[in-house]
Amino acid sequence: MTATLLEQRYRAVLRLLPAYYRRAREEEMVETFLLRVGVAEDGAEDEDEARDLDLMRPSWREVGSVVTLAVRSRMGAAGAPSGYVTLGGAVRHFALFALLLQAAATVTEAALSLAWSSRSAYDRSLLLDVFTSDGGYGWARGVALWAAPPLWTAAYATLLRQRPRGARLFAVAAAVAASEPLVDEAHWSGTVTALTVATAVFGWLTVLAVCCGFHADAGPAWLPAVPPGLAFLGTCVLMGGSVVIRPEGVDSQWATGTAFAVAAAACLAARALAARTDRDRNDRDRNDRARTDRPRNDRPAAETTLALAALGLVVLTLRAGLLAVELDVDLPAGLLAGAVAQLAVTVLLVAALAAVGARDLRAAPRTG
Amino acid sequence: MTTPRSMTQSAFFVLTALTDEPRHGYGILQEVEELSEGRVELRVGTLYGVLDRLTADGLIALDREEVQQGRLRRYYRLTDEGLAALDEEAERMAAGARAASRRIAARRAAPGAAPGLAGGTA
Repeated sequence: MTATLLEQRYRAVLRLLPAYYRRAREEEMVETFLLRVGVAEDGAEDEDEARDLDLMRPSWREVGSVVTLAVRSRMGAAGAPSGYVTLGGAVRHFALFALLLQAAATVTEAALSLAWSSRSAYDRSLLLDVFTSDGGYGWARGVALWAAPPLWTAAYATLLRQRPRGARLFAVAAAVAASEPLVDEAHWSGTVTALTVATAVFGWLTVLAVCCGFHADAGPAWLPAVPPGLAFLGTCVLMGGSVVIRPEGVDSQWATGTAFAVAAAACLAARALAARTDRDRNDRDRNDRARTDRPRNDRPAAETTLALAALGLVVLTLRAGLLAVELDVDLPAGLLAGAVAQLAVTVLLVAALAAVGARDLRAAPRTG
Repeated sequence: MTTPRSMTQSAFFVLTALTDEPRHGYGILQEVEELSEGRVELRVGTLYGVLDRLTADGLIALDREEVQQGRLRRYYRLTDEGLAALDEEAERMAAGARAASRRIAARRAAPGAAPGLAGGTA
């Protein structure tokens, strides 16, 4: 029996699946698919039937089901090997951290805008100008600006209440709102800055992580170490505080960079403490001559650290994007120095997180 | 078994399809379609996602493998845990259906109280 073109096409679609899954399931899936589309058990009976099969292609719904399976099997679905389990966990942590960061950043920005608007008529007019300038377009811009804080916050809260479908909807709506400046800039100035592109990409990357990471086989969403509400409030306070304590003024990425730096430093300190505790325990076990091969599970730590490293790369891109804009304008030296210092600290933290994450990954168990 | 999850419609019909005998992938697809009177039409990728999950949860297990015309067929069977989970889900659905039926009957019995049913049925 020779393979028909239809079979070859279906096998080509199955190449979307990871190698471990294809090894386990490919032949079985091909058999099921061919029986499903009506190929007789002994293959095409005559040349006409073989020609008909050669004209057929797997339907879009069949292809879609394989794409979904391919994503899930790479995101640590049931039976996935260790590497994919860690990848899935890291993607889910990234999704949560990214939602938290964007929710806290937009809420803090909105709260500070409202607080500053009460200082003078000029500040109040700045707030309202967003809605009234450029006619109807300005109104759309204002809605997008003020819709982002509740949408990111709702996505974060819904995900942590274990409602991934609702979280996806909120995150998509928030990413649409976050992409509005792209349209705005392209429409009014004809060019788009790297910062605007990075902001929109961050929004859609978060949507992608929420959609891919939280599949039907994924475990519950949880934040390491801190209760979700406290994490949100703490991040808002930290971001707001980092802005108001700088008398020379701040840029729009200062609070985000500060929040990331504090989280990354806390994560690295926790990992250093855990490593020291491990060393002490091993020394004690050696002295007691009762050392057993205790299974050490560093996978959750690897997932958290790698997710933070990935988030750091995004923060770094945003920081660098704004710095590129800032270098073109006449800014106070203190402000510029702060931005450069934050960029340097972020680079160091991302490198440290990546190194520690790789070490945790090596220490993680090899079985799924 | 992992953390209990609510059973999806696909998982419910796959478990039901395996109650009488072990079946291979295509056999399950056919049975699910028949059991659901055509309402549930699983794609091959979806079926194997469901089979992976049910196997990991210990609700189904591999029964045997056969090679026919050079092609691999794996037959799956329902485990005792799978039967218990299906029984529990079926009972839960039946209880929901009974409650709905009682409410519908009560609404129909109430004289002219139900808005939208004032004209009765034709």
